[in-house]
Amino acid sequence: MLSNLLDQITIDRRSRVEFELQIKESIKSLILDQTFYYQTVLPKTQELAKHLNLDVSTVETAYLDLIEERYIKRDSSNNWIVSYFELTNYFFDRNVAVYDAIISLGLEPSIRCLEKKVLTLPEERIISMGFDKSQDKRYFYINRLYLGDNQPIMLLENYLPLYIFPGISDKFVGNEPLDAYINEHYKIKANISNRIIKSVNLPTDIAKILNERKNAASIQSTNKIYDKENRLIDYGMSYTICSYYFQALITKKEMSDYFPDSFDR
Amino acid sequence: MDYIHINKLITTSIYKQIADSISKAIDIGLLKYNDRLPTEKEVCEAFSISNTAVRMAYDKLIKEERIKRIKGKGTFVTNRKNYKTPLHAYYELEIADSNSKNYQYKVILLNRLIKDVSVFRSLKLKPSDKCYEIDSVIKRDNNPVMLEKVYFPKRFFSNFRNIHEKYRGLFDFIEKVNGYTIKHFHSTFSAINASNSEALLLNIEPDDAICFVRTMIVDEKDEVIAYVCSYFPGSFTDFEVIVHAI
Repeated sequence: MLSNLLDQITIDRRSRVEFELQIKESIKSLILDQTFYYQTVLPKTQELAKHLNLDVSTVETAYLDLIEERYIKRDSSNNWIVSYFELTNYFFDRNVAVYDAIISLGLEPSIRCLEKKVLTLPEERIISMGFDKSQDKRYFYINRLYLGDNQPIMLLENYLPLYIFPGISDKFVGNEPLDAYINEHYKIKANISNRIIKSVNLPTDIAKILNERKNAASIQSTNKIYDKENRLIDYGMSYTICSYYFQALITKKEMSDYFPDSFDR
Repeated sequence: MDYIHINKLITTSIYKQIADSISKAIDIGLLKYNDRLPTEKEVCEAFSISNTAVRMAYDKLIKEERIKRIKGKGTFVTNRKNYKTPLHAYYELEIADSNSKNYQYKVILLNRLIKDVSVFRSLKLKPSDKCYEIDSVIKRDNNPVMLEKVYFPKRFFSNFRNIHEKYRGLFDFIEKVNGYTIKHFHSTFSAINASNSEALLLNIEPDDAICFVRTMIVDEKDEVIAYVCSYFPGSFTDFEVIVHAI
């Protein structure tokens, strides 16, 4: 997809609408319909200017406007990258760390570790999760609550096999983002996450943790995470508060101009 | 209770015989979703057996998720097929409908002029604008798989005469009947608790979890031409998604 990013940004030369605005709206709609998704690197201003046969300053103005409206941002290497996302679909179909997702919502993220221990799992459980049953049957179990501005958003439990992460139970404190941790300490990176998503009624204990009533509907996701060698490295299950999905959708000011009108009207 | 067969002369344990015969009755369709099973006491008395055997049989079936116990109400059959679909292909149900006999499509409500703020907002309609609503239910083996409410703004869809005969599903109606080309659609997934009417239409209990999908359908001119609310019974719907690292 990245190869034709340029081709997707279009302007109409016959239109009386300024080119800056056209570029901005064109990119915005691509972001909103998720053609350009979170962390997509936009073409460099010079590239796009050349492609559209426009002045670099015109493209730059459009990009700066998009920054102003929090759709894009500049990263450490000065790339223009998409910063906008909707919580809803990001928890589902983009591989974004929950921690980053909460930041992007404009909330202060934190993680509370509710439980961590080493479990020896029975063989049938290991098979049903999809791990290698011939290996060490001890698993590092963590159950953690992700919060945004101190409000619960997601409860996530993980099972990490000790045969892949030896010693993790001693070193992992509990409130650090997991993805970054395993990448740094084990040089293992999640590659594919295979999820089953359901809508479920919250049982009493989980409802209490999430500050919800018993039976409140919640999105449950069962995740199997594989690394580049296609090895199952993490089995997890999460429950997410749904009011956040609605909130994200309704309060976002961008929603009012969700699908920008065509320019000529 | 005539679907339960017990033969005390063979060595197979009584509880297993009860469980097997109920299982079989479910498999061949004698027992359907939400059918109530006899109480443990009724079975004990009918066959003069211990209630431990009956309890063990029911427990086994509960563990296998073939039946469920509802406190104060009784034991019910739960063999409802799960609708399992890739996250972004749930709408293929509609397409499958026209080609397969597995799904039944039924329009249950046609409403000429609806006034619903959230719908109007999603479709960017003015309060004076007009909008049609079509509700339909897709069933499989007589169990609802999806309830769908579609909203068509009048300015894009004016020809609603004889709609009953014309409506064969959402995509067919938009593309074949009305000649639009769908460019893409944008869906938002969330979980809600079923209202009484949603529960009735989906054959679940009120307050049960529902997977709620809202979809904006965009045509080639980048206009939002329709807005769809789909409701899936939470316990019987799995969305599968494979996510690649960025």
